[in-house]
Amino acid sequence: MADALVLIDANNFYASCEQALDPALLGRPVVVLSNNDGCVVSRSSEARQLGIAMGKPYFQIAEQLARHGVVVRSSNYALYGDMSQRLMSSLEPDVAELEVYSIDEAFARLPRPRSGDLGPWARDLRSRIRRNLGLPIAIGIAPSKVLAKLANRIAKADSRHAGLFDLCRQEDPDPWLESTPVEELWGVGRRLGRWCRLRGIANARQLRDMASDELRAKAGVVGLRLQLELRGVSCLPLEECPAAKRETCVSRSFSRPISELGELGQAVASYVVRAAEKLRRQRQRAGRLTVFARTSPFAPDFFSRAASVELPLASHDTAVLLQAALQLVPSLHRPHRRFVKAGVLLQDLQPETQLQQHLLAPLPPEQQQRREALMTCIDGLNRRYGTGTVRWAACGLQPDWAMRRQQLSRAATTRLDDLPTAWAR
Amino acid sequence: MAGVSHSAAPLPPPLAAPALVLLGAAQGPVAWPRRPLPLAAESVAAGFPSPADDYIDVGIDLNDTLIRHPSSTFFLRVSGDSMTGAGIQHGDLLVVDRSLEARPGQIVVAVLDGAFTLKRLVRHRGRLRLEAANSAYPPLELYQCGDVQIWGVAIHVIHSLGRHG
Repeated sequence: MADALVLIDANNFYASCEQALDPALLGRPVVVLSNNDGCVVSRSSEARQLGIAMGKPYFQIAEQLARHGVVVRSSNYALYGDMSQRLMSSLEPDVAELEVYSIDEAFARLPRPRSGDLGPWARDLRSRIRRNLGLPIAIGIAPSKVLAKLANRIAKADSRHAGLFDLCRQEDPDPWLESTPVEELWGVGRRLGRWCRLRGIANARQLRDMASDELRAKAGVVGLRLQLELRGVSCLPLEECPAAKRETCVSRSFSRPISELGELGQAVASYVVRAAEKLRRQRQRAGRLTVFARTSPFAPDFFSRAASVELPLASHDTAVLLQAALQLVPSLHRPHRRFVKAGVLLQDLQPETQLQQHLLAPLPPEQQQRREALMTCIDGLNRRYGTGTVRWAACGLQPDWAMRRQQLSRAATTRLDDLPTAWAR
Repeated sequence: MAGVSHSAAPLPPPLAAPALVLLGAAQGPVAWPRRPLPLAAESVAAGFPSPADDYIDVGIDLNDTLIRHPSSTFFLRVSGDSMTGAGIQHGDLLVVDRSLEARPGQIVVAVLDGAFTLKRLVRHRGRLRLEAANSAYPPLELYQCGDVQIWGVAIHVIHSLGRHG
């Protein structure tokens, strides 16, 4: 029997993580806000039942949330990242292949048992993840990735499925495909979706059965693969090792507009520090650095500017990257403009090992080694004692433009000072 | 070669590092990390080969020793004195494995009134109850409190013997 493709994802992942590590939130409505406490990006099932909408700006619904006693949290990426790793490493021993697709979802391939029924396995996995991590998951099972995604959607949409749906175990899959709007299909973008609708193709079943050459003319091989996947022919492989990153970007909105050149420099500097940390963790060096800043696109006289520099020698040294970035900042700045967002992009990334020696190498090897040791030391201190323990003066001491995260929960799984309390009373 | 777009000035080679500021927990100047010493070095220039060469171990990692299921193991900080009789003091670090089935006799973390509570799970006259390890605290009969969830089983407690180093 052919292998099954499975999509496993966590329900309301951010809100579920908050509930998993804070017993006071169990059974209570919880919402998590996006960066800068902007919009609702995750709702616990209790909040969903109250009719709290996704994507709503916080300031518009703050009163409604308070009235219902909804717990509001800022995005706690340290917690979600750690819980994501725990989730993925719990799935690994169960399956033949695993592709971690995003922070809270993974594709898996596994053989079907002789009975053909993966139900017992899936139910056991769900209860294990629930008990071990406190996270609810949904499991969609099908012969291909596109259909697994569709099955997962069905598993979550109707509580009668109890978070589990196997498309192959249905007598007739067609009604299920018919109930899936074409735009909801994985791999159907806005343009292809519109094109389908214009041709009267409204759901997954109709897309599956349409003339292949017509689809090919519009969407090429990608469209044909999509159709084959819908017919149950698996042609999108699992990507087990993610390709090495080509770029690393750190950008954020400010809590208030910035006009001063000095403050813009501090903001860019702090993103460079973060990006350099990421680079070292990825064991890469950057050959090119781009900084950018913009004003609000909703204000009149919108202004946006980027500046880029090629580094003489690829580097992951914060000092080197800071110096390169700070030289570019004046070219981004215009007096009296109210900047709301800035960022840094590290490009032309090369593996650490590939450092070609250069005639213009800025430092003698011995000094170079000491710089490496310094970076390792700083990263170690910041990991151990928390981000910001060792800071770069260029970032400013107590910036008040920094991202608003007023309702941030603790880094309950990654910092010793933030551990949850076990009461002995 | 170096090329600059947008900004006119070419990039000079990096000079001194921008200044570092040290805040929070780490005190004193940043020290250069010491080279880690290998447990035993293979290359001995002269003399007999070390008789220990064949017995080199990788060292002791407390993570490996104390934690069997890393993805379901969580750390909690103990607050209070109700478990002193079980050797668990206020301020101790508790290692909790959520994947284990709680059995009578074990120290467990239960969710009680929205808080993590540390107790011993005990079978008493055929019924399960949660007991403190300190006679000042009365036991809690499980059948009497409707909504108790056993969150995890405490597998180790790490007690620090004061500040040192």
